[in-house]
Amino acid sequence: MKVLAAAAVAIVALGSMAACGDDKGDTPGTASSGATKKSVKVGLAFDIGGRGDKSFNDSAATGLDRVKSELNLEVKDLAAVAGESENDKYARLKLLCTTGYNPVIAVGFVYDGADAKNGPLARAAKDCPNTKFAIVDGGTTADNVADLVFAEEQGSFLVGAAAALKSKTGTVGFIGGCQVDLIKKFEAGFTAGAKAAKADVKVLTNYLSTPAEACKGFNDPAGGKTAATGMYDQKADIIYAAAGGSGTGVFEAAKAKNALAIGVDSDQYNTVTDASLKTVIMTSMLKRVDNAVFNFVKDFGEDKFKAGPTVFDLKTDGVGYSTSGGQVDDIKDKLDKFKADIVAGTITVPTK
Amino acid sequence: MTTAAVGARRIDVGKLLPQLIAPVAALVIAAAISSIALLISDKDPLTAFQHMYEFGTQPDQKVEILNKASELYIAAVAVAFGFKMGLFNIGVEGQSKVAAFFAGALASASFMDWMPGGLRIVLIVVVAMIVGAAWASIAALLKTQRGVSEVISTLMLNAIGGLVVTWLLNDHWGVTEPGAQIKTTGILPEDSWMPGLPIVSGTEQKVLGFFAIAVVLGAAYWFVINRTRFGFDLRATGYNPFAAVASGVNAKRMVITAMLISGAVAGLVNLPRMLGESHTYTEGFGGIGFTGIAVALLGRNHPIGMALGAILWGFLASSQIILDLDGIPKEIILIMQGVTVLSVVIAYELAARIGRRAQQRRVGVATAAAAPAAAEVVEESK
Amino acid sequence: MTADPPAVELKGITKRFPGVVANSDVNLTVRKGTIHAIVGENGAGKSTLMKILYGMQPPDEGEILIEGNPVKFSSPQGAIGAGIGMVHQHFMLADNFTVTENVVLGAEKLHGIGTQAKAKITEISQRYGLGVEPDTLVEDLGVGDRQRVEILKVLYRGARILILDEPTAVLVPQEVDELFGNLRELIREGLTVLFISHKLDEVRGVADDITVIRRGTTVASVKPDQVTARQLATLMVGSELPSPEARESTVTDVPVLVVRGLTVRGPDGRPIVDDATFTIHKGEVVGIAGVEGNGQAELAEAIIGMRDSAGTVELDGVAIAGWDTRRRREAGLGYIPEDRHRQGLLLDAPLWENRILGHQTEPPNAKGFLINVGGARRDTTRIVAEYDVRTPSIDVAAVALSGGNQQKLIVGREMSHQPKVLIAAHPTRGVDVGAQAAIWDHIRNARIAGMGVLLISADLDELIGLSDALKVIYGGRLVADADPSTVTPEQLGVAMTGATGEETPS
Repeated sequence: MKVLAAAAVAIVALGSMAACGDDKGDTPGTASSGATKKSVKVGLAFDIGGRGDKSFNDSAATGLDRVKSELNLEVKDLAAVAGESENDKYARLKLLCTTGYNPVIAVGFVYDGADAKNGPLARAAKDCPNTKFAIVDGGTTADNVADLVFAEEQGSFLVGAAAALKSKTGTVGFIGGCQVDLIKKFEAGFTAGAKAAKADVKVLTNYLSTPAEACKGFNDPAGGKTAATGMYDQKADIIYAAAGGSGTGVFEAAKAKNALAIGVDSDQYNTVTDASLKTVIMTSMLKRVDNAVFNFVKDFGEDKFKAGPTVFDLKTDGVGYSTSGGQVDDIKDKLDKFKADIVAGTITVPTK
Repeated sequence: MTTAAVGARRIDVGKLLPQLIAPVAALVIAAAISSIALLISDKDPLTAFQHMYEFGTQPDQKVEILNKASELYIAAVAVAFGFKMGLFNIGVEGQSKVAAFFAGALASASFMDWMPGGLRIVLIVVVAMIVGAAWASIAALLKTQRGVSEVISTLMLNAIGGLVVTWLLNDHWGVTEPGAQIKTTGILPEDSWMPGLPIVSGTEQKVLGFFAIAVVLGAAYWFVINRTRFGFDLRATGYNPFAAVASGVNAKRMVITAMLISGAVAGLVNLPRMLGESHTYTEGFGGIGFTGIAVALLGRNHPIGMALGAILWGFLASSQIILDLDGIPKEIILIMQGVTVLSVVIAYELAARIGRRAQQRRVGVATAAAAPAAAEVVEESK
Repeated sequence: MTADPPAVELKGITKRFPGVVANSDVNLTVRKGTIHAIVGENGAGKSTLMKILYGMQPPDEGEILIEGNPVKFSSPQGAIGAGIGMVHQHFMLADNFTVTENVVLGAEKLHGIGTQAKAKITEISQRYGLGVEPDTLVEDLGVGDRQRVEILKVLYRGARILILDEPTAVLVPQEVDELFGNLRELIREGLTVLFISHKLDEVRGVADDITVIRRGTTVASVKPDQVTARQLATLMVGSELPSPEARESTVTDVPVLVVRGLTVRGPDGRPIVDDATFTIHKGEVVGIAGVEGNGQAELAEAIIGMRDSAGTVELDGVAIAGWDTRRRREAGLGYIPEDRHRQGLLLDAPLWENRILGHQTEPPNAKGFLINVGGARRDTTRIVAEYDVRTPSIDVAAVALSGGNQQKLIVGREMSHQPKVLIAAHPTRGVDVGAQAAIWDHIRNARIAGMGVLLISADLDELIGLSDALKVIYGGRLVADADPSTVTPEQLGVAMTGATGEETPS
């Protein structure tokens, strides 16, 4: 009997790993489409979460889908599994390059590993010297690796300014999906933008999870809703949800409290599934991973591969804010002024 | 009659055979259920299994399977030390995290710079075992002093341990290496990277050096359990705690000792990767402690059985990549792992019952044949 | 004998379990309105036979006739429907329910659960003189009363034929007499009683007919007034019965175990063993008589060190009260626990590992901190031979052995370490006559060699026969001493119920 109980514990543990791992792993569109052989095959390895996270990974997936449809190339994407080792990540990248995929795109800094010099991507790049690699959000350096990085703080600065300008209570909120440096960059930009627009604005912050909880706050709409409701009760009237899939919960709370929210990564006014939530999405901070992926493949095809970091910032429209819904039209001038100042370098946005 | 038979056969085939058939039968069942899942998702099971096999037998993959098996095996041994006496250390996960974190943090601290690499490896191993044991001792003391079930306390301590490590890593001791973004305890100097073992031919890749330590650990586990007084007391407690107490086993001391050993072994779980792959502690570590429970169950706490279980599990886990490439849902693997554990547990239970009944029957036959003879002896002596 | 068909008739019943024949060609005729006793050693096949009759197991061959009609039961429900009722050895009553609630439980359809049911219970109770009050809580009842409730339960369900499985095992002699009175009342009302026992004196006292089973088959049917207990026993064993009696005293004046003021408290603080003081000398067997649950188990556990206790215990002049169990065992305390499955064996472990149990630190089992597998195995082989443990191998699991052989292994194990004092709790309980005699011999021989024995037993013959001195425990206190050479089981029984020796009821 006790043994069965232990089996149950083990299986529950497995199940929970599966649940937070990948419930949308399979991609019917890309499966075995070997009918028409093409010269260039593009491989892409997702971060944990994979397709369907309505945020970061999906943005990369959009770029890959555009590669497929517009450039008419064969593509293949593989998803990561929760709890896998660095060697598994290495094996995934190597599997792609040894089965003829070139270029290969690694989505997410996890492919850097702890020690970027000897991490999964560095090892795969060394084993496949003739394959070109790209890493989104990463920092691996090698002759055949391009680092696609974003100035998220700049985009966050603009939506922070927008929030401060539109706030009637003088209090705005920030909800991060996970307490990691990357998301803290969003917070830093958002706070700086808000203070720049209105010096006395009050910014409430909250993180939904930590890495120890496998960053579940990126996919926890209920948690997002609870946190947002609390902030609205503390007089915040606009909340920036830098929390991936949890953003939906923030939007729901905004609707219930008759307040506003700001989306992240994609233009969530357009991607949100429940159309009735559109009205609460004032704007979204855009992180154009799709553009980065698409342009990387395009450049590769045109023999313009460039090793090392490529920063996608306001200047290159790698980040920005959305205007769908027209709720920030009245302050567009002010926001564009900030944007110009940042591009010109007169405003330096902090990253911490 | 009796004397002739006594002591002759140490291996009881009738009892052993069902025990050997059980895992094979369980695997067949697991494969069958996975096939059904594959057929439902419109995939050919045979192709899937064939690809898994082909991929898994590539030299590179053999290396990774052995790597995975090493860490899983250590976790399974940690769990098994508790299981053997009926103690359920569900906290290997937390113990292994806390242990590796502190060992890593200490070993890469600046005041340790003087230390030669070999000694640093020894230091990491020793500190990890001590910290793992210390973390496990909390649950042991809660059980012996306050009667708190170790299942509950170790589960809770997993969460607490994980959060403490996160907090220390994020807000205090963590560093980020150039080019990387995740927090680590600092990359160890290269002289304390544990060299790999070139035991798989056909690849440049080497098996993690800790593989050797896992093998030694397995042998030590067997020896302690089967050949020492402590191991006997441990097993006796597992067989029948009341009889063990009547035989002079101090139940509380047993709980504490078993938990400390389990925790110390748990402290080693993350070291294969830490010393041979990432060369630092990162938040990417985790999950193996839970899987170790499944492997211990698969291997029936037996040193060889757990080794086979760990290799099987490592094989299944690394196969996910190739299934993904074929467009087959990776969840098939999770289904397979789950079904394997359940069917193995059930099959073993059945096998044990069948074996026991078979043995009773044979003893019945043997003694029934002997009984009339003995009765006559009694009569003659009168 | 002519018109009236027998209540139960079994013809050529055979039951095989894989590899073992449990019953073969059993023939039994039970006259209506009689008490029919079935006697045999443990493992002789009585239980299997009763299970067949009660519908729990189908026979492989043979015929069952109930009042002349052939029947085939597939479940106990079928047997109950045919008027057969079973009173199990272990009572199946819910303590916190009243008698009525217990009786109607599972038979609610018969007379409801209200006043009608209560009236029926009262009626049955009066008709058969059971004296059961329908509204009493079962937890307030004594053992004898509980047994009557069990009987009433069966009668309530319409039984005309009652099977009683070792009904006297849990009773003191006075309660046994009451039970027999009840049974006679039942047959007077035309019911039939099948009575399973191995207590031969009782059987001769109450039964109208006796059938003896040996090795799965019926070997004789006799009238009680035509046989002596010894003849019956001879029929049961197939050879002459050994007896615990007749030997010379080996008691010395050297105390080996001195217990003073030993007190064990329960969780509620009340004493379970209350101020026990006694001395065992070298070569002396001190018997503790008492109805189960009066503290004798706790007394044994306190002396072996498994229970916290107050008071002093001296083993061969050394105070051991503060020691743990292992140290006490190493110092020369042997222990045959009351429940061998619970405390004495690792059922799933092989015999040679069971031989180590309790003596993990002593040769030949241990060498330093290591287990000496070779030594333990060799010594197990020796014990199996010397103590006649019937097993094909020392590698079979203990669970595969019969109760008697398990007990012989335990006795052999404890004796092999030459204990100074052996605590033997029910050493022959559930053991067949042959093994019983062997165990008695071993205890006696060790006693001659100077061992002291604390003997706890529910078998009064065993107590009287083996002991050099007797003490009666009641409510945790040692209330009386008795001289085994003069005391009768009846006198002992009276003392066990709490009456002092002088106030024997007249």
